[in-house]
Amino acid sequence: MSTLTILPKRRRRSIIARVGWPRFLQEIGMLAPAVVLMTVFLITPFLLSFWTAMTNQPLVPRPTPVRFVGLNNFLRILSDDLFWTSLWNVTRFTLWVLPVQCGLAFLTALILNQKLPFRNLFRGMFFLPAITSMVVVCVIWGTLFQYPTGPLNQILASLSGGYIQPIDWLGDPNWAMFSIVLLSAWQAYGFQMIIYLAGMQGIPDELYDAARIDGAGRWGRFWHVTMPGLRPTHVFVLVITTIQAFKLYTQVAILTQGGPKSSTETVVHYMVRAGFEEQKLGYASAVSVILFLIVLVIALIQRRLMRRFDV
Amino acid sequence: MSDLALSPRKPAAPLNGYRIVQSISVFIIALVVISPLFMLFIASLKDDRFQILADMGSFRAFWVDNPTLNNFREVGNFAGELAFGRYLGNSLLILFSTVSLGLIINSMAGFILAWGSLPGRALILSLIIALYVIPQESIIMPLLIIVSRAGLSDTFTAQILPFVASPLYTFLFYQFFAQLPKELYEAASIDGASIFRTWWSIFMPLSLPALATVSILMGIEAWNQYLWPILITQTDYARPISVAIATFFGQDSIFWDRAMAASVLMMIPILVFYLAFQRWFISSFVGSAVKG
Repeated sequence: MSTLTILPKRRRRSIIARVGWPRFLQEIGMLAPAVVLMTVFLITPFLLSFWTAMTNQPLVPRPTPVRFVGLNNFLRILSDDLFWTSLWNVTRFTLWVLPVQCGLAFLTALILNQKLPFRNLFRGMFFLPAITSMVVVCVIWGTLFQYPTGPLNQILASLSGGYIQPIDWLGDPNWAMFSIVLLSAWQAYGFQMIIYLAGMQGIPDELYDAARIDGAGRWGRFWHVTMPGLRPTHVFVLVITTIQAFKLYTQVAILTQGGPKSSTETVVHYMVRAGFEEQKLGYASAVSVILFLIVLVIALIQRRLMRRFDV
Repeated sequence: MSDLALSPRKPAAPLNGYRIVQSISVFIIALVVISPLFMLFIASLKDDRFQILADMGSFRAFWVDNPTLNNFREVGNFAGELAFGRYLGNSLLILFSTVSLGLIINSMAGFILAWGSLPGRALILSLIIALYVIPQESIIMPLLIIVSRAGLSDTFTAQILPFVASPLYTFLFYQFFAQLPKELYEAASIDGASIFRTWWSIFMPLSLPALATVSILMGIEAWNQYLWPILITQTDYARPISVAIATFFGQDSIFWDRAMAASVLMMIPILVFYLAFQRWFISSFVGSAVKG
């Protein structure tokens, strides 16, 4: 290898000539575990999903060979009403959860970003639901949602003086998805809150001072300094919340199993049912490819928007 | 600030309308956020499962007359039908293995990407950023094929190894290491430290905020895994506590008292984990992610 250094024509010396074998091997050794693991457990299944999606691969290997079926799985998915219902349901979920979850996160961050006694305590406390496992959240909200005499119904009844009739939160097709929205927003808003806090702390104090000198009140400072300064944060929060919402699964699988009357069926739940219960892995993979494409489109929109705001 | 110069005494925080609104909203948010968790804790100390539900709509939800650990004794076994002690142990094993392996592997890769001299680092980095878009849910079916063909179904390995290396965490480490001063790296090279030593003895000790952030994010993720374990575990052997708690919902009438106790068992370790790292976490979190 050392001959390489002697060759005068070579414009860039090889890495080994520059740093030597031991260093080269060390670098390979430090990078390799991550690269190998990502290749095996992320890139391979990702590429495989496109292939599997075009076969009739079953979950349990069968004696009959796996057949290539082209785009059949996709055509069948797109002509299945239940798939469209599930897509509509996650869209509905997203449209509800965005304002509730991001609004709560934004308000909380706004309050915590000011002088407040015990601010750090509150900040740590408001993040607690985010570390709570979704399964535990389901246990908690499963009790809160009890029909007809659960806590939420009792609170509503006493607040309205008995005017509001008990609601079958998880059993009524009109309410089930909204109930899922409530518990999901409660569980996950902590992350968005922290992202907002980071965004707010990134706005330089000088901007606020300048606005104050210009005679801006509290409201004016909020509207003309805080909000414009948070534009990239808003985009980021909206996008990660949307992506997260499209992957809705655990709470639905535990509390409603997609029901009642498919009102809480989601894309991931539909995929797991096809792949695991009906054992049609090829079909399920096709659903997962569609899910990936949806997430990709959302992520691309984010990049476009971020670039526009950054420049 | 100019008020200070004019008036000799330091003005106490004025009790104006704004402050009152602020205090009330903090109180309401705290109530909405914390009371369900507090209720869970109180209910797990009550023995009577019918009383638990009856109490819940009133202030009795926040009070227990005769606290008892019976529920915990009932579910905390290591074998049998309610072997939550075992499930908890399984989850802890998965948590600590995933996080400790993940910290080492992702930070090594991030370090090489930031300070190494391998050709093609920029390419690998942009590939890793692109991989971040792939949601776990969308590769889970083919992953199931790979892992079960490898004979790993129903093992701990299957629940640890696939989640150790992550584009997001490698990128977070890359970003953190890249903004540390060049002099650090040069000083170590001049002293003849190998690149491995430079990473381990110079950069890692300075990376507490990044380590804490990644630990908490990875920890929460590993602790709360649900979809993958139900696909990959068939027996009690490696079943995590999340899947075990979910089985309460499959029964005709849910034993809320036991479910609550099991839930509290599940909350404690991740709470301790969070409190241990929280100090560094919130300050360093997503300042980086927003930019990335």
